[in-house]
Amino acid sequence: MTAPAVEETTASIAARSVTPKPARLRWILIQVAAVVLAGVVWSLASLAFPSSTLPPPTAVFARLGELALTPGFWSAVGITIATFAIALVICIVVGVPVGLAIGASTVATQSTRLLFDFLRTIPPIAILPLLLLVLGAEMEMVLVLAVGGAIWPILIQSIYAARQGEALLVEMAKSYRIPKAWFIRHIFVPGAIPFVMTGLRLGTTICLLLTISGELLGSAPGVGYEIANAQAFYDNTRMYAYVIVSAVLGLIVNGGFWALQRRLLRWHPSVRGEARS
Amino acid sequence: MTTPATGANRPEADGDVPALEARALGHSYGPREILGGIDFSIKRGEFVCIVGPSGVGKTTLLRCLSGLQKATAGELLVLGTVVDEPQPGVAVVFQDYSRSLMPWTSVLHNVTLPLRANGLKTAEAEERARQALAQVGLQPTVADLYPWQLSGGMQQRVAIARALAYNPTVLLMDEPFASVDAQTRSDLEDLVLRLQRELGLTVLLVTHDIDEAVYLSDRVVALSGSPARVADIVDVPLGTERDQIETKSTHEFAEVRAKVHGLVRHAASSGPAASSAS
Amino acid sequence: MSRLRTWVSLVALELWLPLLLVVIWWFASENSTSVYFPPLRVILQSFAENWLVPERALANLGPSLQVIGLGYGVALLGGIAIGTLLGLVRPFERAVRPIVEALRAIPGVALLPLFIVLFGIDQPMRILLVAYGAAWPVLLNTLDGVRAVEPTLLDMARIFRVGRARRLFQIILRSAGPQIFAGARISLAITLIIMVVSETVGASGGVGYFLMTAKSEFRISSMWSAIVALGILGYLLNILFRIAERYVLRWHRLQQARLEKAS
Repeated sequence: MTAPAVEETTASIAARSVTPKPARLRWILIQVAAVVLAGVVWSLASLAFPSSTLPPPTAVFARLGELALTPGFWSAVGITIATFAIALVICIVVGVPVGLAIGASTVATQSTRLLFDFLRTIPPIAILPLLLLVLGAEMEMVLVLAVGGAIWPILIQSIYAARQGEALLVEMAKSYRIPKAWFIRHIFVPGAIPFVMTGLRLGTTICLLLTISGELLGSAPGVGYEIANAQAFYDNTRMYAYVIVSAVLGLIVNGGFWALQRRLLRWHPSVRGEARS
Repeated sequence: MTTPATGANRPEADGDVPALEARALGHSYGPREILGGIDFSIKRGEFVCIVGPSGVGKTTLLRCLSGLQKATAGELLVLGTVVDEPQPGVAVVFQDYSRSLMPWTSVLHNVTLPLRANGLKTAEAEERARQALAQVGLQPTVADLYPWQLSGGMQQRVAIARALAYNPTVLLMDEPFASVDAQTRSDLEDLVLRLQRELGLTVLLVTHDIDEAVYLSDRVVALSGSPARVADIVDVPLGTERDQIETKSTHEFAEVRAKVHGLVRHAASSGPAASSAS
Repeated sequence: MSRLRTWVSLVALELWLPLLLVVIWWFASENSTSVYFPPLRVILQSFAENWLVPERALANLGPSLQVIGLGYGVALLGGIAIGTLLGLVRPFERAVRPIVEALRAIPGVALLPLFIVLFGIDQPMRILLVAYGAAWPVLLNTLDGVRAVEPTLLDMARIFRVGRARRLFQIILRSAGPQIFAGARISLAITLIIMVVSETVGASGGVGYFLMTAKSEFRISSMWSAIVALGILGYLLNILFRIAERYVLRWHRLQQARLEKAS
C-alpha cells in the first residue's frame, strides 16, 4: 500500500534467510514437532465432537489419499489451478501496463482515482449472482469473477508505482536528454517492480480466494465445488479433505510467489540484507 | 518505582565512591572475545572520554556500561554497587538521534517518557522537561513539534535534554556528535561542557575523534586492539575553562593530543597491547 | 479565491469521468430489453425502495452491519493480540510458522461449510467466519510491524527503565501503527466478502441474503440494487477507515511527506 510497507516485508523476507545451517535443522525439527502437536490437538478435539462433525486427522488424510487416486479429484484440482492461472495472467497482462500508463499521467490518475476507489470496494461476491445468471455455473463465470476482483490491487498498485517514477521521469528525461523509451525500459520499469510486486501479492491471494469462492458458491467445477458438494451430502470427511487441498494450493501459491519475489528483487537493498543497520 | 536519583546534589561524604567503575570487565559473543579485561574508574563530577580505533569495541563497552548487556566477565559498579542491568542513575545519549527519538509523538512527550515511566506525575515531568529543553538552548515552541521536524543538531539537543531531565548520576554518550556537521559539533561540544560544569555531571563520552576527546575531558581512556583493553589513561591538564579556538591552539593541547594519537595509532597497527590502568 | 478554484478544479478532475460513465450508462440502458441489464433508472428506483426507506433499509442492512461490526472488531483485536505475541516471542513464532502459513492459506470461503458444521447457521457462525478470515492480514502485518521496531528505541526504553507495558503500548504498537493499519485495510475488504458469502446460507436478513433471494426470485433490478448498495457500503466503510487512519497516523503521513519533499 505504501513504500515503507514494501520495505518492511521484504526486509523480513531477507531476515528469514540468514540462519546458519545447523540452527536451521534444529528449527525444522521444532516446526515438525509443532505440526505433530497440532495434529494431536486436532485428534483430541475430534473426540469431543461426533465423528461426522469433526473427523480425526487420520480419517481425513486417509480419505484424501483415496481421493488422490481418482481422476475426478485431479480434474477438480486441475480446473481450479487453470482458472486461477488464466485469471492471474489476464489481471497482470491488463492491470500492470494499464496501471503504469495511467500512473504516468497526472490527469489520468486524478480522473480515475474516485472511480477505481469505488469499484475496488465492491465485494466481488456481489457480482456472483448476476454472473451466474448470465454465464451459468461454468469456468468462464469463475474466471470473470476472479479477474473482476483481483485486478484492482494490481491495477492500483501499478498506478502508484508509476506515480513514484513519474516525477523522476520528467526530470531525468529533460536534464540528461535520455530517450524516453530507453528510460522506460531500463529505469522506470525496474524501479516500479517492488511496488507492483506488493499489488501482485495481494492480487494473487484474492485471485485464488475468488476462484475457490466462485466454484463453491456458484457450483462451478473445481475444488470449491467439491467442498460445497461434500457438505451438502453430509460427507464431512471429504469436505475436510478438499479444504486441506485448498490450503495446499494456497501454500504453493504463497510459497511460489515468495520465491519469485526474492528472485526478482535480488537487487533491492532490503532483500540483499542491507536494510537498516 | 523510585524517582531518579539527583546526581548533582549528593552530599560530599559520598564523594570518594567512584561514580562508575569497571573491574576486569570483559565481553565475548560466543567464542569471539571483544573486550578483554577493562579496568578504569570515574570520579564524581569528572568528564572522561574513551577513544579507540574503529571496530575496537567501543559500542560493546558502552552497552555493557549502560546495563544493556551483562558483561560476560568482570564487574561493573555504579556508585559502589555491582550492577548488571540499567540503573536509575544512568542515562545515555545515542549516536543516531533520529533513531532514539520516537517519531510519532512530540518532543515534549519524548523527553518526559523516562520521567513518567519512573513514576513522576505528568505535570511535574513536563515542568522538568521544559527546563531541560531550555538548558540545552531550545526555544519553548520546539516542545510541541515532532522530532523529525527539527534539524540534526536540534534533535541531538532534545536527546541530551531527555538525559538531563532524568537527573542522572552518570551521563553516557555514544559518539553523540558523529552524525552532525562540524559547526554543529563544536556548538554541541561546548553545550555539553557547559552543562557538565554547571550541573556537576559525571560524563563518559565515547568517541573516535581525538580532538574532541582531549578538548572535552579531564582524562582520556585509550583502548587498545583486540580483544580491547585499556592501553593507557591520559590526564588532560587543560584547566576548567575551555574554548574551541584558544584551548586548541595551546602547546599543552597539542602535546596531549599527540600522546593520545600515538596510543590510538599504536593500538590500530598492533594486536593486543599490554593492559594497564593508571 | 484561487485556492477555491484549485480545490474546485481538483474535485472536477476526479468527478468528470465517473459522472460521464453514469450518464452513458443511463442513456445506453434506457431502452434496454435485456433481462440481465435493466435500465439504470429502474435500478435506481429499486435501490431507493429497498435501501433508502428506513424500515426496509434497516431490515436489509441491520444483520449485515452486526456481522461486519462484531466480526471485524474481533478480527482486529485477535489479529493484533496474536500478531504482537508472535512478533515478540520469536521462538514461538518460528515454531508455529508452518501452521500459521497453512491456516492462512485456506481461503476463508472454503471454510463456510466447515463453520456451518461446527457452529450452526446463525449470526454467531457468520461473525466467527468473518473474524477468522479477516484476522490474517492484520495479524501478519502486526507481526511484521512489531518485529521491525527500531532497536535503538527499545535500547533507549530499557536504559531509561521504561516498564514492559508502557514499552508495548507507547513504543512497540505505535511504531507498528502504519503496518497494522495497512493490514487492517485489507482485513476490511475481506470482512465484506466473507460477510456476503456467509449470508448466502441459512440467513433471514442482511445484504447477502437479499442478494441471493433476489437472484432466486429472478428480481434482477433488486439484485442490481444490492450490488449498488454493497458498493456504497464498502465505499463508506473505507472512508471511515481513512478518517481513522488520518487521525491516528497523522505523524506518519506528515513524516512521509517531508521525506518525499527532501528526496
